[in-house]
Amino acid sequence: MSKIICSAAIRGAHKIVQRAEAEYQAAMEKWGPDQEIGFPNTAYYLPIIYGILGIGVKKLKDAKDVLDRCRSLLPDMVAEHVWLPYLAPALEAGMATFFAEEIIEAIRYLESPDYYTRTEGPADGNIWLGAADDVILRKRGVEFVDGTAPGFAAILGAPPTKEIAVQLAQELQEKNLYVFMCSDHEGRKMSELLVEEGVQIGWPTRLVSFGPEYTAAVFAMGFATRVAMSFGGIKPGDFTGNLIYNKDRVFAFAMPLGTVTDEWYANAAGAINWSFPTIADTPIPEILPTGICTYEHVVSNVPYDQLVSKAIEVRGLKVTVSEVPVPVSFGPAFEGERVRKDDLYLECGGPKSQAVEWVTTRDMDEVEDGKIELFGPDVDDVEEGSRLPLAIVCEFAGRKMEEDFEPILERQIHHFVNHTQGLMHIGQRDITWIRMSKAGRAKGLKLKHIGSVLHAKFHQEFGAIFDKVQIKLYTEQEKVRESVEEAKRSYEYRDARIEGMTDETTEMFYSCTLCQSFAPSHVCIISPERTGLCGAYNWMDCKASYEINATGPNQPVEKGECLDPKLGQWKGCNEFIYKASRGAIDHYSLYSLMHDPMTACGCFECVAAVLPICNGVMTVDRDYAGMTPCGMKFTTLAGTIGGGLSTPGFMGHSKYNITQKKWISADGGIKRLVWMPKSLKEEIGHRLKESSERVGIPELLDMIADETVGISEEEILPFLEEKGHPALSMDPILE
Amino acid sequence: MSFEIPTISYNGVIRQITVGKEPNCVTVGGESCYPFYLFEGAMPHLPRIAMEVYDAPPEDWPQAALEPFADVVHDPAAWAQKCVGSYGAEMIALQLASTDPNAQDTPAEKAVEVTKKVAAAINVPLIVWGSGNLEKDKEVLRMISERCAEETLLLGPVEEGSYKALGAASLAYQHTIAASTPIDVNLAKQLNILLGNLGVPDDRIIIDPTVGALGYGLEFCYSVMERDRMAALTQEDERLQFPIVCNLGKEVWKIKETRLSEEEAPLLGDPLKRGVLLEAMTALLFLLAGGDIVIMRHPDAIQLVRGLMNELMGEGV
Ligand code: SF4
Repeated sequence: MSKIICSAAIRGAHKIVQRAEAEYQAAMEKWGPDQEIGFPNTAYYLPIIYGILGIGVKKLKDAKDVLDRCRSLLPDMVAEHVWLPYLAPALEAGMATFFAEEIIEAIRYLESPDYYTRTEGPADGNIWLGAADDVILRKRGVEFVDGTAPGFAAILGAPPTKEIAVQLAQELQEKNLYVFMCSDHEGRKMSELLVEEGVQIGWPTRLVSFGPEYTAAVFAMGFATRVAMSFGGIKPGDFTGNLIYNKDRVFAFAMPLGTVTDEWYANAAGAINWSFPTIADTPIPEILPTGICTYEHVVSNVPYDQLVSKAIEVRGLKVTVSEVPVPVSFGPAFEGERVRKDDLYLECGGPKSQAVEWVTTRDMDEVEDGKIELFGPDVDDVEEGSRLPLAIVCEFAGRKMEEDFEPILERQIHHFVNHTQGLMHIGQRDITWIRMSKAGRAKGLKLKHIGSVLHAKFHQEFGAIFDKVQIKLYTEQEKVRESVEEAKRSYEYRDARIEGMTDETTEMFYSCTLCQSFAPSHVCIISPERTGLCGAYNWMDCKASYEINATGPNQPVEKGECLDPKLGQWKGCNEFIYKASRGAIDHYSLYSLMHDPMTACGCFECVAAVLPICNGVMTVDRDYAGMTPCGMKFTTLAGTIGGGLSTPGFMGHSKYNITQKKWISADGGIKRLVWMPKSLKEEIGHRLKESSERVGIPELLDMIADETVGISEEEILPFLEEKGHPALSMDPILE
Repeated sequence: MSFEIPTISYNGVIRQITVGKEPNCVTVGGESCYPFYLFEGAMPHLPRIAMEVYDAPPEDWPQAALEPFADVVHDPAAWAQKCVGSYGAEMIALQLASTDPNAQDTPAEKAVEVTKKVAAAINVPLIVWGSGNLEKDKEVLRMISERCAEETLLLGPVEEGSYKALGAASLAYQHTIAASTPIDVNLAKQLNILLGNLGVPDDRIIIDPTVGALGYGLEFCYSVMERDRMAALTQEDERLQFPIVCNLGKEVWKIKETRLSEEEAPLLGDPLKRGVLLEAMTALLFLLAGGDIVIMRHPDAIQLVRGLMNELMGEGV
């Protein structure tokens, strides 16, 4: 910790404790030891002292012990010539500061009962509210717990102008934060500036004017401490519990505006105990390394227009966007909306122009959340029926953001744009195709709104995995071309990375239990080389889903010791399966349909089945309604093997899985595939070709029979023989 | 070799949850065996039957259901008193059906008033049930939670979309909550985990698995409840070891079979008997699946279920 800050904080703490001692002495003489003291209407006494030390200060004499504790906590002043790690002493000084300040404020309540209004808002010309009583605590604290108010900004001092004061207050309000105000800078007080500008202050508007002095900072800290006791069930005196509760749940920070005095430093140091960082407008030394706080401790010299966003970033607060700000309706109901030729106002991409969408990751300071820019003409600049090229570039930043999330976020663009009334979206990546309808345009819809939609929806649904997103839209040919080039490079990189991931090099697999609602014992284990049966979840999706919703259906499964590399069985997976199936299934293989295949739920895309006469395997997808060589149609197969069973000889899987290396690799892999519906063959033909080449039989695709060859084993066998299908010469599939 | 009755090895116990405020509180849960398997474990608390009271006069009830309450439907407090006084209700469930924006859209303030009146009129625990409209329930139940802080209520339904708002309210004002999920073991478990993460103590959670009436999806609800209990009692699934509440009266009395008159459906017999039997059978089945609190409507149906329950407990009729 910076030496300057520590020395100042320790100096400040000394001054404050001295002041408390002096005032205490005077009060004792005047009122006597048995005089009752405390904050109004609260069961928490002086809450910081009660929460941290477990001491309920009821009478003046009870404060004696506390002051002694302050003394013992106070470190020696930092001498010029020593250089030590200062964090711990400064934190203790900060703690002592709060205890002392609570005593000072309690004595103030005693000496001047009308100093504070004791109300929810200004009363009789007095704007200073003082400590929140328990009724306010309960009512407002609820908002801290349920997230409607994620935390507070404790502002000490005031910005240089009224305009900045109003602007700051508004920005904090927009983030749903409470603004707790105290102290002054050169006589200017934030609360007064707001009142002068006609801004309503008080608990109902979340602009809380605690007191004119720096000591009123304890009302903010006391509030946080009480929230932990009343909502977190934290016992008085359990200081670790209290501080951790605040770190994890109360998104607060200190925002000193103006010269940071020793006393302010002392308060800021105290707040770090609660993991509340300090964001300052003045050039005080910074404390960037992380430790107690989630991220940095002190960040300084921040311009006024960036104070709030910086504070939010440093405290790790998530932005919530409740509305999608577009002039048209928004919702899944519009997903199916088509924009046909006759309704068409503007078209981007498709067969006749170029369009691309691309999600990328940037550094934190390269992204300004919510910034949406359009370079080039918008819909109003062009005639009805026009075409424009379009590039949608979404730049994400966040402490938890990972490159791996890019494709997942990018895939959402399709849905979000489609959910906007008046817009139709087809395709993805560089084959994006967007149409805007005349009706949409008439309601005021612009291309730029795509940015607003994406910003709002990304935050609403994926806020857990990133902090900031800005969106750039280009409609100039040259710029679009450049974006396409850049995006393509990134697509290639991603594809190569996914292709390159193997089960062997990945320690963590993921589960999916979404289908247990109808197949109670079914558990999908999803590894890089085995996507979910339904085709909707691959390993990366599960990883992101877990980050977003840690209690949801996708849980990390440490695969653990490998029990059988050929069949694909791991100790960790089996243990997980046993628990998650509630004891119904204790093991299965990821790579085999003959030996303990994975359980099948019912929503698999395809079913593979053994064909003993052909010594091979067939697979059939949901869309093929006809008969198959195993003697059952898809529906019959689904009914027979679904419901959470593991049926040797049969296996549910996704279409994509067929061309993954590990698909029934224990049984011989793709070389066993002797029959599949023609339409499926065509759908995945391209990748199937690559797989055939990988296994050294490039002509395999032509050897696989389909319904045009036959729908019984007897019918297809001659075909397989004629083509020299590799399955016929493999080891018998039935042992 | 002598015959031995196979027994199930249990490794879990349902939590005991106390609803209501001293001295008028009721404790449910505590089972260490499957429902009424008294030969394998204990059911320290008999399941409880709560009687419904509505916040506004019902408009579309069949005569059979309306008849016992005809004199009190305009006054929820009198209605509640009648249930306790005349029919021996052990709990009252105030259904705030009229708050639904698609019904009368009664404002939250009004719902608070009614809740206070009913609470003041009875000396048994009070369950307060929202209309099921997520946004409105958030507003209504949250306000009730705050304004009726002196009562200890059981508030429901608390859903995934409202658990933060209502969980926080429960934390602040010490109410118990009915964690409601749509007929799914994993979702029930997940909501309980979320409530725990929020800080709601385990002794304030009751599971509402969502139920349907006999002939209308009951078997699905039944097997989900069964699985809840199996997970809780035999698979150490700690996040499912909570009592279960079944809000079934309103389900039964809205199905066609309880509403058709004798003329409309001569083959179905006497509408009163028909409705009462359907409600009693629905309730009994849910008790057998693990219900700890059943919310019912008709006094005759309740009478029947009580008798059956006593018999199952081996206490004679
Ligand atoms: S089939 Fe799909 S949705 Fe169902 S459990 Fe598997 S991955 Fe999840």
